Amino acid sequence: MSVMAATFVRNWRITLRAYPWTYFVGTLATGVLTIGVSMLAYRAIGGGRVGASFTAATGSADYLGYVTVGAAALTFTTRMVLWVAKAQITEYREGTLESQLLTPARRLPYLLGVTAQALSTTAVEITVLVAVATALGVRLTVADPLTLLAATVAATVAVVGMSVPLSALMLAAGEAHITQNTLFTAMALLCGFTFPTSYLPDAARWLGEALPVTWALRVLRAATLPGTDVDPWPAFAVCVVLGGAYLLLGLSILDPAERRALHRSARA
Amino acid sequence: MSTGIVTTDLRKTFPVRRWQGWRRRPAAAPVAAVDGLSLRIPPGQVTGLLGLNGAGKTTTIRILSTLLRPTGGTVSVDGLDVVEHAREVRRRINVISGGERMVYDRLTARENLWYFGQLYDVPRARLRARIDELLDLVGLTEAAQVPVERFSRGMRQRLVIARGLINDPAYLLLDEPTLGLDAPIAHQLRALIAQLAADGVGVLLTSHYLAEVEQLCRHVYLIARGSLVAQGSPAQLAGQTVRRHTVRLVLAVADPAVTAVLRALAERHGAELTVDVDDEGRPRFTLRHPQDLVGAVVTAVVQAGGAVAGLTVTPPTLEDAILTLTDAQAVAVR
Repeated sequence: MSVMAATFVRNWRITLRAYPWTYFVGTLATGVLTIGVSMLAYRAIGGGRVGASFTAATGSADYLGYVTVGAAALTFTTRMVLWVAKAQITEYREGTLESQLLTPARRLPYLLGVTAQALSTTAVEITVLVAVATALGVRLTVADPLTLLAATVAATVAVVGMSVPLSALMLAAGEAHITQNTLFTAMALLCGFTFPTSYLPDAARWLGEALPVTWALRVLRAATLPGTDVDPWPAFAVCVVLGGAYLLLGLSILDPAERRALHRSARA
Repeated sequence: MSTGIVTTDLRKTFPVRRWQGWRRRPAAAPVAAVDGLSLRIPPGQVTGLLGLNGAGKTTTIRILSTLLRPTGGTVSVDGLDVVEHAREVRRRINVISGGERMVYDRLTARENLWYFGQLYDVPRARLRARIDELLDLVGLTEAAQVPVERFSRGMRQRLVIARGLINDPAYLLLDEPTLGLDAPIAHQLRALIAQLAADGVGVLLTSHYLAEVEQLCRHVYLIARGSLVAQGSPAQLAGQTVRRHTVRLVLAVADPAVTAVLRALAERHGAELTVDVDDEGRPRFTLRHPQDLVGAVVTAVVQAGGAVAGLTVTPPTLEDAILTLTDAQAVAVR
């Protein structure tokens, strides 16, 4: 069995033993809250209507569908980043990084194993979140299943690509909270999860364009919002290229980051 | 191609940064953890690496195991450079550290060994049997399905030992491997180390239990402040010490004539003599001298009419050698 499959099995075993059902509920709460607050604002403040500028920017008047897809995507992104980017610093903190690095196993299959397990866990969480949104009255439609599949691939490439350099940064800095929360805040503001990126000032919009998640969201919108007439494939291509570039950058700086972490523990 | 682990003029420095105002700046000189160390760990024997805390033993092991890169010098394992061929070197070695976690708390013993077996690419057909062998070897067969978080410290350390053997390493680096182990398990581990060496494994051992080193090691390197201070067999190292044989003699009853004879004997040989009483109030004489004076002492006491109630002789030990030689190095550095 490969390192990837072994890491997938290992992580599932640890997850089933380590995390109580309350943790799962806590994870869902953020997504449900985002949808709930948006629904309240849409009905109580907006009177159940959206402005022309929203329709012009998104190509759709379905605000609740837009927010639900955004909340699901944000949940997907944050959960995947938490799993993949924090995998190695968790090993470092728990004292198992050294025994990992003593082995001849390569990092990429290890990270792909973590990703595969994270995907399977997050898929369950997203399914439940969408079911809750549906129970609240949100009606989601899939415009094109193939585009939805492409969006899932794009989102995975984008998140893994961003997670690997983030993992290196966490190891090098020896901390996770500031790093991950800075990224989460930046993504929530810049990537278009709950509002179109065209609402942003130019500088912020360009920053958002540099994040592959922004492009993955565009593919996802094209797959799930009725009435949009956007070709998803250019965004898909940009997302894959950007995600791949981030991944290569991350793999190239992971080794020095690991050595820096080992130096730190050697000096301690 | 040379066999064994060979280090030549090995150096490792750590940069030191200090706060100056709002910024951390590099200190003038980095700290040298390993300083010009040349060692050879041949296959098929146990080699000791001794030194006081902070001498550079663990840093050396981390470099040999590819975890840290040397600042200078070279390290090769069977001719393979540890920096250039790190992945190939990792297939041939393993490390067992006492007091470090190294295993997953939420996995069982068997799951841990299975996972590390995968990381070492142990063939599937071999892995199951290997795990059973190792669990049996470290006495964890009964606890194979128990998550490690429920293990005692000794059980955890036994699993760390099994993890270190999962890839059948050609070289095993042992950093305080018996730390925290009960005496019977430590005894078993020592027997295992001797057996591994007999089977051709090259073992490097650091330990604070010097009896362990004396029992197992054919060759010992003694280091202080990252530099080699002395090397040789444990007996040769003990022989290099200027510490003394200690003769401790207890008289049945106090006798001024015997005391006078012993004082004269000590003065004649230049021995250090202390006189006190033991727990039962009997006079006790302690003589320290580079030579073993027990024959002369007993003869003098008997000729003076004294009655010997107790006699012990303590030769210089490896511990004496470490203390003496590392003291001398510290003095030289000062």
